[in-house]
Amino acid sequence: MTTTSTFNFEPYEISEDLSALRKEVRAFVAEFAPCWTGHDLGLGWFGFDLEFSRQLARRGWIGMTWPKQYGGLERSTMERYTVIEELMAAGAPLMAHWIAERQSGPLLLRIGTEAQRQRFLPLITRGEISFCIGLSEPDAGSDLAAIRSRATRVEGGWRLNGRKIWTTNAHKCQFMIALIRTAGSPETEKHKGLSQFLIDLSWPGVEVRPIKDLTGEEHFNEIVFEDVFIPEDMLVGQEGDGWAQANAELAFERSGPDRFFSSFPLLPAAVDALAAKGGPDRLAARRIGEAVAQLTVLRQMSLSIQGMLEAGKMPGQEAALVKQLGTSYEQRTPELVREALDLKPGLHQDDRLGEMTAFLTQFSPTFSLRGGAREILRGIIAKGLGLR
Amino acid sequence: MSDNMNVGAMLTEQLDRLFEKSVTRTVLVDAEAGKLPEALWAELENIGVTYALVPEESGGVGLSWADTVGVWQAIGFHAAPVPLGETMIGRWALALAGIDIPEGPLAIAEDLLQLDAAGALHGDGIKLPWADQAGHFVAVAQGQDGLRLCLVRRADVVSAPAATISRIPCGRLSLAKVAPVAVAPLPAALGPLGLLAHLAVLRATQMGGCLDRLLALCVDYGNTRVQFGKPLGKFQAIQHMIATLAEQAAAARVAGAFGCRSLDKGDPEFGAAVAKIQVGQSATAAAAIAHQVFGAMGVTDEHSLHFFTRRLWQWRDEGESEHWWAERLGRYVVSAGSAALWPNLINW
Repeated sequence: MTTTSTFNFEPYEISEDLSALRKEVRAFVAEFAPCWTGHDLGLGWFGFDLEFSRQLARRGWIGMTWPKQYGGLERSTMERYTVIEELMAAGAPLMAHWIAERQSGPLLLRIGTEAQRQRFLPLITRGEISFCIGLSEPDAGSDLAAIRSRATRVEGGWRLNGRKIWTTNAHKCQFMIALIRTAGSPETEKHKGLSQFLIDLSWPGVEVRPIKDLTGEEHFNEIVFEDVFIPEDMLVGQEGDGWAQANAELAFERSGPDRFFSSFPLLPAAVDALAAKGGPDRLAARRIGEAVAQLTVLRQMSLSIQGMLEAGKMPGQEAALVKQLGTSYEQRTPELVREALDLKPGLHQDDRLGEMTAFLTQFSPTFSLRGGAREILRGIIAKGLGLR
Repeated sequence: MSDNMNVGAMLTEQLDRLFEKSVTRTVLVDAEAGKLPEALWAELENIGVTYALVPEESGGVGLSWADTVGVWQAIGFHAAPVPLGETMIGRWALALAGIDIPEGPLAIAEDLLQLDAAGALHGDGIKLPWADQAGHFVAVAQGQDGLRLCLVRRADVVSAPAATISRIPCGRLSLAKVAPVAVAPLPAALGPLGLLAHLAVLRATQMGGCLDRLLALCVDYGNTRVQFGKPLGKFQAIQHMIATLAEQAAAARVAGAFGCRSLDKGDPEFGAAVAKIQVGQSATAAAAIAHQVFGAMGVTDEHSLHFFTRRLWQWRDEGESEHWWAERLGRYVVSAGSAALWPNLINW
C-alpha cells in the first residue's frame, strides 16, 4: 500500500490578480444588499430576481468565459469563479440565470449545434432567458434512468408525452433542457435510449404546475407534456447519448460554490450578533472557528476541481465528495447559529438573523437532495473506491 | 518551483517504498518499547530527507513546506515510528536562527519554556515525544525581552517516561536552571506561537496520511471479508460508512496540504488552525467508522488498525487540539468583525 490517494485534489493556486475584479463585484453588490431581507439572504443564490440578473449581464458577468461570438467575454475560469463566489458570499439572488450559466450554456457550447449556440447563448449572456433542468419524474427520482417521458419520431421532429417533477423554477423559466426517452424501455434498457432536448415551455401541450413546498412557497414544479411537438433542431447532442451527456455535466454541477454557500450569509450575521453581545463565549467561538475552517477547506477542494475541469479532466468522484461535504456544511450552519447564540429563530422581518435562520432551517433539507441525493452520491463514491 | 514539486513527489515515492519495506510489526512494537529503528533512521539521513527544509545556503535541500506534504502523509500512512517530521522542522528552525545543527534526531517541545535573566531554562511537565531517542530538542522560550529559540541537550534535562495513547515514546521533562546549548532570537518566520503552528501542521498532515490508510484498509476489508454469503462491501450500509470515511479523508488531505502552503506564505497561524480543526474533526469521525467496519477484529492488539487509530487520537491533541484552534480562530474572526470575514477568508 502506498500513500497515493484514490482521489486527486491537486492544489490550485490562483495566479491571477483578481483583487480589482473582486472590488468591482463588491461595489456592485453593495448597491443592492441593503434591500435584501433575512428571507432574501436565506434564499441567497437560490433567489430568482430577473432584474438583478440583467444588471449582472450588463456588467458582462453572465457567461463571461464564453467565446465573444456568442456574447461572452472570453474571461478566465478563475475570473468567473471570483465573480460567482463574491456574489454567493453576499447572498445575491442568482437563480434567474444560474442554471443557464452553470449548466445549459456550457452544455450547448460543448455539444450543441452551431445554430443552437447562436440562438441561445447570447440570450443567456444578456440575462434574457432562464433555463431549468428536466430530470426527475414521478417514477424516476433517485432512480433517474427509469425515465418514462418519451419522444417518438414524427415528420420534422418528435412528439413528446410524459411528465417531469421537482423541476426548480420551471414556472419562471422559458426553456428546459430535458432528459427524455427516445428508445428502449425504462425497465430493461434504462441508461440506453435517453436523449437531451431543448424544450420551450410555452409550446402547446406543455403545462407547468407549481408545487407548494414546506416553506409555503413555490420553488419547484410538475410539468406535463401532452403531444408536444419538438422540432428536429432542438435535440441536444446525439440521439441516445443523453445519459452520458447529462453525466458529463455533473462534475460542474456538484463542485461549485453553490454547493457550500447556501447558508453562508448566516455567518457574518452571526458574527455581528456575537460582537453585539460583547464577544463570543468559548462555545460560540469554537463554532465560528469551525465554520470558517471548514469553509476554507471546501473552497480549496472546489478550486482544485476548477483547476482539473480547466485542464479538461472530469473529476466526477471528487465533485461528488465536495457536494457531500458541502451540503452537510450548509445544513449544519443554521444549527450552529442557534447553538452559538441561543437564538430562537422566527420569521420576523425586523430580525434579519432570526428570519434567515428560520427560513434556512426549513429550506436546508433540500440541500442534500437537489443535484443527486446524499445516498446516491455515497453509492457513486463507494463505486469509485472499488466497493461493490 | 516545479522542479522542487518533482523532488517532493520523488521523495514521497522513495519514502513510501522505504516505509513499506521497513515498518514491520516488529518495528512498530519495538518502537512502543522505546527502541528507535536505527537502520531506518540511518536510511532517512542517507536519503537527505531529514535536511529537506533546511535552506540550501545552510547545507540543506531547501524544499518548500508544500513539497513536504507527501513526506508527512507517508509518515502517517505507514505509521512510521521515527521523529522525521520533528527533525525536519527542528533543523529548519535551527538553520534559520543560525544555530549549528547537532547530529542525530531532534525532538520538539510543544510547550513554552521560560528563560531567566541568567540564560537558564525553566519548565515543568513539558511533554516531549521521542525524548529518549533524540540527543537534543528544540524549544521556544519566553525570555526577558521576547521569545527565543533554544537548542537543549537531552542529557542535561531530567525526564520521566510519559504514557500516551499512540505509545510513541514520550518524556515529561522538568527543567530547573538548565543551560541550553544555544539560544537565538526567534526567527521572524516563526511568529508569536513559536513552533506550535508548524507542529500543528505536521500532525494534521500526518493524520491525513493515517486517514488515507484507514480508507485503504476498510476498502480492502470490505472487498474480502464475507458475511451472509457476500463481501461486506456489497452491503449498502457498509458502502455508505466507507464513503463517509472517504469524504473525511479527502477533506483532511486537502486541509493538511493547505496548512503546509500557508507555512510557505509566512502566515502559519490561519493555515494551522484550518488544518488542525478540519483534520481533528475528520479523524474523530473516520476512526469511529473504521472500527465499526472492522468489528471486534479491529480492536484486537493483533490487528494493525490500532497503530493508525491510536496515532490519530494522540495527534488530535498534539500541536493543540481542533477545539483549541477553533476557539482561537473564532475569537479572532468575531473581533475582526463581519465585514472582514469573507475578505480575510479568501486572502489567508
